Formats: sequence, structure tokens, C-alpha cells
Amino acid sequence: MRCPWNELKGPDGLALLEVNDLHVFYGNIEALKGISIQAEAGQIVAILGGNGAGKTTTLRAISGLLRPRSGSITFGGKSLVGISAHSIVALGLSHVPEGRRIFNVLTVEENLSLGGYLIRSRTQLVKERKAAVYALFPRLAERRLQLAGTLSGGEQQMLAIGRAMMSEPRVLMLDEPSLGLAPILAKSVLRTVREIASRGTTVLLVEQNARQALAIAQRAYVIEVGRVVLEGDASELARDERVQKAYLGGFEGVAAS
Amino acid sequence: MGPFLEYTVIGLTVGSFYALVALGYTIVYGIIRLINFAQGDLSMVGAFLGWTLLVSFGLQSLPLPIALVLVFVLPMIGTAAVNLVVLEVAYKPLLNKSLLAILISALACSIILSNGAEWKWGAAIQAYPPSLLPSEGFNVGPVHLTFVQVALFVISVLLMGGLYAFIQGTTLGTAMRALAVDHDAARLMGINVNQVIRLAFVLGAMLAAASGVMLGLYYVQIQFTLGFLLGLRAFTAAVLGGIGNIPGAMAGGMLIGLLEAYTTGYISGKWEDVIVFGVLITVLVIRPTGLFGERVAVRM
Amino acid sequence: MSSDDLLGAILLFFVVLAGLRLFAYSRLSEEPRFNGWLNRVDRVPYWSRVIAFLVGIGAIAYVQGDEYFTSVLVGVATYAMLGLGLNIVVGFAGLLDLGYAAFFAIGAYTSALLTTLPQTHWNFFVTVPLAILFTGTAGAILGYPTLRLRSDYLAIVTLGFGEMTRVAFNNWDYAGGPNGILQIPFPEIPKISIGGQSFGYVFQSQFDFLIIGLALLAIAMIFAQNLEHSRLGRGWIAIREDEFAAESVGVPSVRLKLFAYVMGGMWGGLAGGFFATRIGAIDPTSFTFTLSVYALIVIVLGGTGSLPGVLLGALIVVGLPEVLRQFDEQRLLVFGVALLLVILLLPQGLWARIRRRPKPFYGLQEEEAGQVADRILREHQQQMEERDARHAAAGHRVIQEGEAILEVQGVVQQFGGLRAVDNVTFDVKRGEIFSIIGPNGGGKTTLFNCITGVQRPKAGKIFIDGRPVAGLRPHVIAARGVGRTFQGIRLFKQMAVFENVMVGLYPRHRTMTWQALLHTPGERKDEVRTLQESRRWLGFVGLEHLAGRLATELPYADQRRVEIARALAAHPHLVLFDEPAAGMNPTEKLELDGIIRKIRGLGITVVLIEHDMSLVMRISDRIAVLDHGTLIALGKPAQIQQDPAVIEAYLGRDDDEVPVERAQGA
Repeated sequence: MRCPWNELKGPDGLALLEVNDLHVFYGNIEALKGISIQAEAGQIVAILGGNGAGKTTTLRAISGLLRPRSGSITFGGKSLVGISAHSIVALGLSHVPEGRRIFNVLTVEENLSLGGYLIRSRTQLVKERKAAVYALFPRLAERRLQLAGTLSGGEQQMLAIGRAMMSEPRVLMLDEPSLGLAPILAKSVLRTVREIASRGTTVLLVEQNARQALAIAQRAYVIEVGRVVLEGDASELARDERVQKAYLGGFEGVAAS
Repeated sequence: MGPFLEYTVIGLTVGSFYALVALGYTIVYGIIRLINFAQGDLSMVGAFLGWTLLVSFGLQSLPLPIALVLVFVLPMIGTAAVNLVVLEVAYKPLLNKSLLAILISALACSIILSNGAEWKWGAAIQAYPPSLLPSEGFNVGPVHLTFVQVALFVISVLLMGGLYAFIQGTTLGTAMRALAVDHDAARLMGINVNQVIRLAFVLGAMLAAASGVMLGLYYVQIQFTLGFLLGLRAFTAAVLGGIGNIPGAMAGGMLIGLLEAYTTGYISGKWEDVIVFGVLITVLVIRPTGLFGERVAVRM
Repeated sequence: MSSDDLLGAILLFFVVLAGLRLFAYSRLSEEPRFNGWLNRVDRVPYWSRVIAFLVGIGAIAYVQGDEYFTSVLVGVATYAMLGLGLNIVVGFAGLLDLGYAAFFAIGAYTSALLTTLPQTHWNFFVTVPLAILFTGTAGAILGYPTLRLRSDYLAIVTLGFGEMTRVAFNNWDYAGGPNGILQIPFPEIPKISIGGQSFGYVFQSQFDFLIIGLALLAIAMIFAQNLEHSRLGRGWIAIREDEFAAESVGVPSVRLKLFAYVMGGMWGGLAGGFFATRIGAIDPTSFTFTLSVYALIVIVLGGTGSLPGVLLGALIVVGLPEVLRQFDEQRLLVFGVALLLVILLLPQGLWARIRRRPKPFYGLQEEEAGQVADRILREHQQQMEERDARHAAAGHRVIQEGEAILEVQGVVQQFGGLRAVDNVTFDVKRGEIFSIIGPNGGGKTTLFNCITGVQRPKAGKIFIDGRPVAGLRPHVIAARGVGRTFQGIRLFKQMAVFENVMVGLYPRHRTMTWQALLHTPGERKDEVRTLQESRRWLGFVGLEHLAGRLATELPYADQRRVEIARALAAHPHLVLFDEPAAGMNPTEKLELDGIIRKIRGLGITVVLIEHDMSLVMRISDRIAVLDHGTLIALGKPAQIQQDPAVIEAYLGRDDDEVPVERAQGA
């Protein structure tokens, strides 16, 4: 699955995915107040922050589900602002939304078929990619003909990721993949994320489990009320006291007081 | 036993017309939660297009198989075009507005279509050429079947079968079902939601037009008002089967047709509406999402 | 001027007026002079405005003196009455009704039968109340079995009801079958002799009918307005906006929906009775689905929920086809196109109800900030004492400070194969601030939903105030003194901020519907008190200055505070806040901290779901930690901070399968 373009930077020295000064409004309410994020090819970039901080909004704006009021999003040098969501997928950017959003009345196989919607006329390719997904998640292969709604939480998450991988994206955006999963499952999902990244796919990861996210990420951003308040090398952030206090702790931070 | 089977045959024939229109309601509703009140009027448009072809364009003088194909296919295409215009002009701008606004828009379209038809084709009753299909029939046991009944039933079963195969068997059909679950997730698969909505409108209109032509061939007489009752029955059928549910719409249509035939046969035609709606309300009170359960998108 | 020209001119005038109004609202909404003028108009009693307007219409008809023109106006009045009734069902309560003609028919037939049957031969004016009674009952009959159906299903069920009613009249020989009822007498005031002079009058000219029509319309308008501005009206709109949230703040949604059907039916009965006597002969073809559709168009065209909009809608629906008579055959086609254009250009309607108020508390007695706090405290203590007294009088044990006010015992909640809450037991003591923390998806909100009656737990017991709450509807639990807020804010979006809080006061109202209809002095006092209290609660959370805004116009942090005010409005003794700090910046969080402490200061027990650890640790007396549905720790903040199980659940273990050199936490 290694793709040559993932080795490349965008033109003009831009990162593969560049978000610049993004403002998003819901009605009159400003949900994002100037977010800037960069993801280099092949990196895992973590986005951390509390509930309501704007992480999901950021991902939705990048994937075209929301229209930003101002700011730029460029992907491989091409602006994504104003492009509809389904065309953005075609450009090579896949988004696994919060809460998985699998099609619960369809079978596992049908869900994957839809993941390969854009290549639906190339049946051989669809078959190959399905096989690759089943290789990545053998559990899904066992449940091919089961309705997706009957899968367990962990299996649904695998399906959601597998479905997104069907389009062989250059950038994969994951919104809280470990939500509601038992620790052991959460860990295995994150392990898979790392495996996907190691094959050359760039991953934008929104996670509540800050420590685990920072552990597999190269770069990280901390968002608070629609703004980036901290950014930097994931390993540095993992040691940063402010992150500790805000997300990793609160425990340790307050214990002193 | 004789009358019972006789009524059953009538019920299934008429029911298949309802089922076709009901499918249109259900496909559109499942995807954008719009009760397309113009659905019945689309049938009427289809019926008149077929009539125009037969009478004014001399289609009836062609060999029967060719005439039959053309009299279905051309109105289906024409009606699909009409429905696309309706979608783009009347529904698209209101999709994210209130449910009521779009409902009124649908009602306005229904008014426009039926009165537009009156303007174009007149208020008088028009007649399909009765000689197109052989009017004689044959007996199967105690039941008398006409060729028209058999032909129309076969055509509607073919259409429904085709639709079912498309919805269940192709990726595009799967995408339509997915859209009934979650629009945003579908977008994230690269599905062009607008395109699929257009497809749903095309399919719905084609089925409606086919049923309109069948109605003309079966009852011979058509009028610009025929869309109303047909639409009403079909809508009832769609809800009875579980709106958004494709097999449900087919079964619902057949059920309503049978119910109607038995009521007319055994009680009185006067009580048709009361019985049909009485059954519908009873079913909904017991099973609030219809006989087969609904499949409906959350409105974004 | 010919009557057609006059009609056209009137139509044009009101449509232009509607346009100017919408324009003025969009451009001048911040302009003090415009707002001052609005407030002055608002101060003029509604009934006098309605009567002045209708007298004006009557005067135009009188001056014009044309039978045809007057008869069109009578038609407008009939449709307006019909629209006002349907507006209650559709506009206020948000229930789709496509069979409204049924009520019109029942009203018309009731009145017609009672005036024509040889056994009765009653006076028209006597039959009207009976027509209203019958249609109200019909509303209950239609409403009761269908209340739990979703709006789209209601569309077909009501449509079916309308058709069934029509067919039933068509087949009912006693009511003339398809021929209907003929020779319905004119309304009359019977002759009576006073001092040798006899009085009495038979209404028979179109102008006579217009007078009756306008009088009935005035009553219908005023009652509809009174209803809208009562707790019932607010309850309806709250249900329309968010039924789930309405239930949770104490609005009994099922009962209110039933009420909407009954009330809507009654208005239809009024219009129907009037229609019958005016036409003189009715038959089932007068009550088709088309009529229901036109009634619906009346209200949507004018602006759903807007009373002046109903008048405008009726004027257009009746008047426009008349003006379009020159198009003869195609007038319905032109009407359809016009309708489509209006709905595309103004989907909110021509005379949309504008709910934001520049000065919602205009004319209320001013209170100083210090006074407000004192008043709230005094009021609240009084409420608490009364509640405790009632509680004791009903034979329940009153929970004292420090005793368990909320007991959760072995609660299990399961969705499919997933145990969202798994055998959780804890209790919350009266007067404490109790936090529930844990990773997302841990079952916290599910637990809240079990406590507030939104969901019924699969196993286990929950007691509030020592009484079990299993199986109670959310509004009952709310009325027992439990307030809550929601994780994803659930305000009534199209209502102003102060109205949101007023809905929260619903359980405390004691006025009856008839009082609301008549706008009695008692009801008026209750309303002023409600308004006054909503203002105090908004002051309590620091939002009085935003009271007139629409809820959705506020930033998130403020919306959360409105939710808190709404949850507090009914003076609960237990509040459940679901992530109140989400989306707040540090300053706002600090303010929230202060508000929560103030709430506790009132003696209210606070249960909090929250992710912001510093807030939780600062403020909580005790903390429960939920992870994967199970309670993994319970104790004081200091204990929780050191609990290894908690740290692991929150942060993951240090030996997580990650490059070890980077995973250096604390």
C-alpha cells in the first residue's frame, strides 16, 4: 500500500495538508476562531482538547462537511475550500467521523463497497482493496455478511476505518476512534492506526486519550475554545506541564493546591 | 370462492399500480424525508404523455410490441424530466428549511401539475385507444383473466423486480440505501448526494409514469384529476408498509389494492376510503412505523 | 373603484406592508427609536388593536357597499378562523394536520343539523357552542391514539381522518347523504317585546354576515393571542422546538399535544358553524382534502405561528384567486405558481413571527442587583420549605441536609450488547456538589437519562427524595424538583432567551386553561410573576442584558448559562448539569464555578458531569468515576486524584504499548 506521493511535500514547501487561520461559524456562533494546522506526509498528527473545543469542527471543515467562513485549507497544494465533501474524498482525504457513523442497515461487505464507491466500476480493484481491509481486520472478514448494526463497538470502529481505507487515502482523519471502547480494544485500534501510518498514510488523529495519542503521534496540537493554544513535537508536548495540567492531569496539577 | 378470486385479481392489478407510485414516495421520502405530494400527479402526467403518443402521434398504428415499449418508455423519460425540474426548482432551495415550507412547496407543485395538465390537455375525460391490447381474456379455473390484466401485472412485476435488483445489487443502489441512513457519512464515502437524490427522483417519476400509462390502458378513461386519488392511495400504501422501506411499499400497495377490491366487492364502494384509512390508522397505532418498519434518514 | 380593483389594491397593500415590516426588522432591529416605537405598540392592548383593525375592514366593506366584495371578505373571515385553529395545532404545537377540514365539517354539520332538524330548530347562536364542543371532542378522539406518532405519520393519519369524516357524512342518510343539508336558516336574534316595542333581527345580507364573521373572528383572534401568551402557548412552542428538552423541564408533552388538538378542533367548529349558516346549504364536497390544504397554505404563507400572518394568509388564499379571475381557466395554475414563488422567496412566511424582543422586561418594576439575589434566596427558601412541608404532609420523610437526596442502586442500562451502565450504586447527599467523571462513552449521560426518566434502566432502583422514580415520565420527575441541562445544548432555538427560562417555570404555574383563554387578572398576575422570575434567574447567571435575544444567537458559553437558568427556574432541589463547562474559555469557566457555588448556596444539590478536571477538583465535595459503565472510584477529590484505577482509566497505563521513551507522564 506504500504510495510514492506520500513521500513528497506539496509544492512551494507547503506541508501535505495545511490549514491556515480557519474560522467556522454555526449561525452567529464562532466555533473556530482561527485554527492553523500542518500535517507532513506520513506523519501522525494528534489534535487534543476538551469536549466542545472545536476538534470535530476542524475535521468536518477539512473534509468539506462544513463550509468555513474564512481561512484556507490546502491539500497537496490544492485549495479545498468550497469543494464539496464527496470531491474531497476523491482527492485522497478520508474522514472517519465521530461515533463511527457506519451504515447499520447494510452488511459489512456493503459498507466496504461504499467505501470504494469512487472506484465502483473497477471491480477487480474493489476486490483487492476489500481483501486488504480484511487482511488488516480479520474480524471483519468473519462477519462479512452480517448487518453492520449488529457488530460490537470495536468491530464497528474497525469497519469505519476499513471503509475509509477503501479509497486508499493519502490523509486519513480519525475522530475519537477509541470512544467507548474497552482499554484493550482502544489500544489495538491505535496500534492499527500506527500501522496504517507506517505504510505511508498521513493520519490526523483526534483523541481524548491524550497520552496514548501523543505516544503514537509525531506532532500535536492542543485546541481550546476554537483556538490552537499549544502545538509542537508530540514527545515535547507529552512532557509539557501545561498539557499535563489541562489534559493529562488536572489530577497532579490540583493535588498540589 | 369465485368472487373472492375475482376480487383478488382485481385487487392485485390495481394494487400493483399503487405499489409503483408508492415506491416513488418511499424512495424520495427515505432519502430526503419529503412527502412528494406531486407523485400522484406525475402518474397523471405519464398517463397523458402516453395518451398523446398513442392518439396524436399515431403510435397505435405501430406493431404492438414496439408501440407498447414506446408508450411506456417515452412517458417515463418525459415524466422523469418533469420531476427533475420540480426537484431543482421547488425542493432544492428548501431542503434545509422547515419541513412545512417544503411540504407547501410540494402541494404547490401538485396544484401546478394538475392544473397545468388541465390547461394543456383540457378538463374533459380522454380515452386511451381501446383497441391497443386485446380485450378478450381466458379462464383459469373459476377466474376470468383479461390479457390487459396479465400484461399489466407482468410489466409492473418486472419494473418492481428491476428496481429491487438495482437497489440491492449495485453499488449505486447500495448508496441510495446508505443515504437513507446518514447523509454526511455517505458524503464521506465520496457519494455525490445531490446526484443520488436526482436519481431517486428520476426512478420515482419513471415508476409513477409507468403506473399512469397502465391506468390508462386498464381503465381507458383518464382525466387531469386522476393523480389525486392515486397519489393518496399510494402514499397510504407507502406508510402502511413502513415509509422508506422498498419491499414495504410494494406490499403496502398490494394490500391497499386488495383491501379496496374486497371492500367494494363485499361491502360497498362507498366505504372504500373509510376502510382503507381505518386499517392504516389501526396499523399505525399498533405499529407506529408501519408493517415492515421504516428506513429513514435523519434530516441534516 | 370596482370591487376587483379594490380587492387587488388591498392585497397589494398588505403584501407590501409585510415586505416593509420584514425589511424594517432586518435593518432597524438595533435602532432605539424603532424599538421604542415597537414597545409603544406592544403596550396597546391586543384586543383593542384587533377590534380597531376589524372595524376598519368592516368600514371599507360598508363604504364600498358591494355584495360581491363583501362576500369575498366573509370568505376571508371564515378562512381566517379556520387558519387560527389550524395554527394552534401546526404553528404552536408543531403537529402536522392535513385533515383539518374534518373539524370544519363536524362544526358545520352540527350547527346545520341543530338548526334544521324539526325536533330542534335551534337558534344559530345556540348551536355554535355545541359545534365547538363537538369538534373539541373530535379533536380528542383524533389526538388520543395518534399522539405518539411522528409528524410525518401524523400527516397521513390526519389526512385519513379528514377523508373518513367526509365519506362518513357522504354516506350518512340522516345528514342528507351526498345532497347534504339544505335550507339552513339565517342567524337571527329572536323577536322580543320590551315595552310594546319589539326587537329582533334576521341576518341575511352579506354585510350582516360580515359583521357576524368579524365578531367571531375577533373572539377567535383574541383567544388565540391569549393562549399563545400563556404558559400553555409557551409549552406548545417548547414542544415544537424540542419535545425532549420540554419534557425534561416539566412540560407534559402528551397532555399538551392532546390539548392542541382539542383547541384546534374548537376553532374549526366555530368556523364550520359560521360557514353553514352563511352558505345556507352544505354538502360533503365542501369539506374535501383541498380545503385542508388551503387551510394549511393560509398559515404557512402568512408565517407559521403568526396570528396576523393567518389574516394575511387568508386574504391571499381567498382574495388572490378572485383577483385572478381574469385568467379564468388558469387561475389555479397561476395561484400555484404564486404560492411556489412566495414559499421559495420567503420560506418563513410573509408575516413571520419575530420572537426576539429588544426590551422584554419593558414596564416591569426595576430591581437592584443586590435585591435580586436576596429575592431569589428568600423565594427559594420559601419554596423549599413549602415543598418539604408538602412532602411531609404527604407522608414522606423529608430528607435533611447531609442525607441522601438521590440514591442510585445497582442501576444497569443496556443497548444491544453494550452495557452502558453496569450495576452502579452511589448516593448524593442533600446540599453537596457531586461530580461524575470518566472518559467519554463511560455511561455518564446514560445515567443522567435514567435518573431523569428519559430512559428506563434495565435493572436497579433510583430514589429521589426517598421516593422511587422508576417509570415516571420526565416531566413528572422535573415537577418533583429535578432540573437538568444537556451535553449538547438543547435550548428552544426559536424562542427568546427569557422565554426559554419562562418555559422552565412551567411546573410552578397554577393557572387553568380557561383563565389563560380569558386572560383573567389572576392569570395576568401569574404571567407577570413568571416574567419577573425569569428576569431574576437570568440576572442570577449574569445574562439579563441578553434576555431578548434568540437563544441561538448567543455564544455557547452563554447558551449553557441560559440552560442553567432554565433548569433553576422551577426552584428545584436537585440539579443535574451535563458538561456545563464544555466549550467555555478559562474566564467563563471561572464564572461558572461562581454560579455553581451560588446554586449550592441556595441549598440546591448539584450533580455535575464534567471533564474539566481543575474545575471538578476545585468545586466538588465528592466525585464518582465511571469507566465503561462501572463505578471504579468514589470519594473526595484528594482521594480520587491518587486513585491508581482512576489515573489508569483516564490516562491509560504507563506501560501502554507505545515507544516507552516518549510516554513519560507524571
